[in-house]
Amino acid sequence: MSCLLLRLAAPLQSWGTSSRFTRRNTDRAPSRSGVLGLLAAATGRRRTDPLEELLDLRIGVRIEQPGRLERDFQTARSRDGQISMPLSYRFYLADAVFAVAVHGPDQLLETVEQALRAPAFPLYLGRRSCPPAGVLLHGMHDGDLAQVLAEAPWLASPWVQKQHRAPMVTLDTVADCPATEPRAELVRDEPVSFDPRHRQYDWRTVLSSQVTVPNPLHRSPTPIPAAAFAGGGHDPMAVFEEPI
Amino acid sequence: MPRTILDVHIIQSVPPSNINRDDTGSPKTAVYGGRRRARVSSQAWKRATREAFPAHLDRSELGMRTRQVVEVLATEITRQAPALAERAADLAGEVLTAIGIKTKAARKDGAAPESEFLLFLSHRQIESLAELAVTAATEAGDGKVSINKQEAKARADREHSVDIALFGRMVASATDLNVEAAVQVAHALSVHAVDNEYDYFTAVDDSKKNNDDEDAGAGMIGTVEFNSSTLYRYAALDLDALCDNLGDATAAVRAAEAFTRAFITSMPSGKQNTFANRTLPDAVLLIVRQRQPINLVGAFEEVVEDNAEHGRVHAAIGKLAEHARELHTAFDETPVAAWTFGIGEKKIAPLAELATHTTFDPAVRAVGELLGQRLAASS
Repeated sequence: MSCLLLRLAAPLQSWGTSSRFTRRNTDRAPSRSGVLGLLAAATGRRRTDPLEELLDLRIGVRIEQPGRLERDFQTARSRDGQISMPLSYRFYLADAVFAVAVHGPDQLLETVEQALRAPAFPLYLGRRSCPPAGVLLHGMHDGDLAQVLAEAPWLASPWVQKQHRAPMVTLDTVADCPATEPRAELVRDEPVSFDPRHRQYDWRTVLSSQVTVPNPLHRSPTPIPAAAFAGGGHDPMAVFEEPI
Repeated sequence: MPRTILDVHIIQSVPPSNINRDDTGSPKTAVYGGRRRARVSSQAWKRATREAFPAHLDRSELGMRTRQVVEVLATEITRQAPALAERAADLAGEVLTAIGIKTKAARKDGAAPESEFLLFLSHRQIESLAELAVTAATEAGDGKVSINKQEAKARADREHSVDIALFGRMVASATDLNVEAAVQVAHALSVHAVDNEYDYFTAVDDSKKNNDDEDAGAGMIGTVEFNSSTLYRYAALDLDALCDNLGDATAAVRAAEAFTRAFITSMPSGKQNTFANRTLPDAVLLIVRQRQPINLVGAFEEVVEDNAEHGRVHAAIGKLAEHARELHTAFDETPVAAWTFGIGEKKIAPLAELATHTTFDPAVRAVGELLGQRLAASS
């Protein structure tokens, strides 16, 4: 058993687990049903197909860069413009990056990895208008979810790593865990069926935690050269160290 | 089986405008790369694309082989309910009559009747009309089959079938045609940081102006928010999915061409009379791939600065080409073919290294030709 590491990044993503009707919320991290849906799309399962062995995969998420909430207001009219549909509000996470570890039998993970290289359906991060940006696949790693999430390098965007002026960074994680775990939380996010006529979700137990990893772009502070003041590029806050 | 995916990448400058606003009237925005950007939602540009279809799609070109619609429908009825095999042709005729399509005897003896005209029905429409016939036949038992005309007409709405095959449809009621979209459109984002600006306006009351008893104030004051931006627009079209939805390779290629033309040249109409902001793209890159669509928005995670040399468009095109090259290397990705066109030899030069440099119409035709060849090869 090992883990497949994915990096989910895009200008916008949306991971709703309790969205209904005209207000479509997003959680602050990718949902299990969202990630399994992504893998199901890659492996060519239609919405009405059973998820089969994908349900045996365990998912762990690390929040590399939390991003921020954006609200999108949407109007809709019938094709002839006569009927106005209810106004809807859709929430997105803008500018967020997540590391997702998928834990399961090696052979299944290899199948999934191959599928992600040439997905049967175009991939998207929670909503069709959110195609992934950059490199999605970050290789296979030995170990369980906790281990891989604790050891994977920090995958935040370079500009975030540069702004974080400390050698280490502490990141939040959310991972599947056995129901017997004393600190487990219960969330309704276990996909049973994506069939649009009767979508079904069950409960799953997750464990929230934190890990600390090195910041690859940390440079120890050096005296500011005079050149930095030329061309209006001076950052007066540069002299302050952020507390870790 | 080789897949076929068409990526459309567009760099487009829009002058002061408010083409897509939220409920407070502000132009939509989003933060990317830590900086606020102008945003045009995918749904807004999809609607504009849809509206532009009639100009680019001659519906008579679609539905090449569906004079045999009775036969096609009968086959589908038999597939859904083998017990009805013997009555399938009659049921198909009943359904067509309910829609209001006249049929006549086939030219060949023993073949099913044909419709008088060429008829375009998508794959899913055929399925759902057959479903209607099967349900009606089951309900009637040995009695007379009655098919609800309104329901049949709704299911055969041919005007919709191409846009639905492209953009999909998700309706909760099970009787409806749920179709998985073949096209993915991303929210357009500006390649540079944007602050919305305010236009303060006063509206003069003409009648008040001519009346000496009235004060000299305006009839109304207010503000209109706007911004101007150079946008990166992206859409991906899954040709195999489109062919699957339409059930006809020729129709799929025509629809793909029409989508490409409409997406490139359309613009959401928000406040267009206030700003007259309709522009055409500065640069377009069309890439045909065989593994997966690739969104190149990462090129602009770091903003194009306002003081970029030779202007924003030039810098954006350079970044786009560089990022495409880097991603192709990282993904071991070799595009099947690519075309580019846009303003000025010099400005397009970085993209011309990745793609065949041509103009709008030849590029779309070349794409269509390649898509047709690939569909023919994979069928």
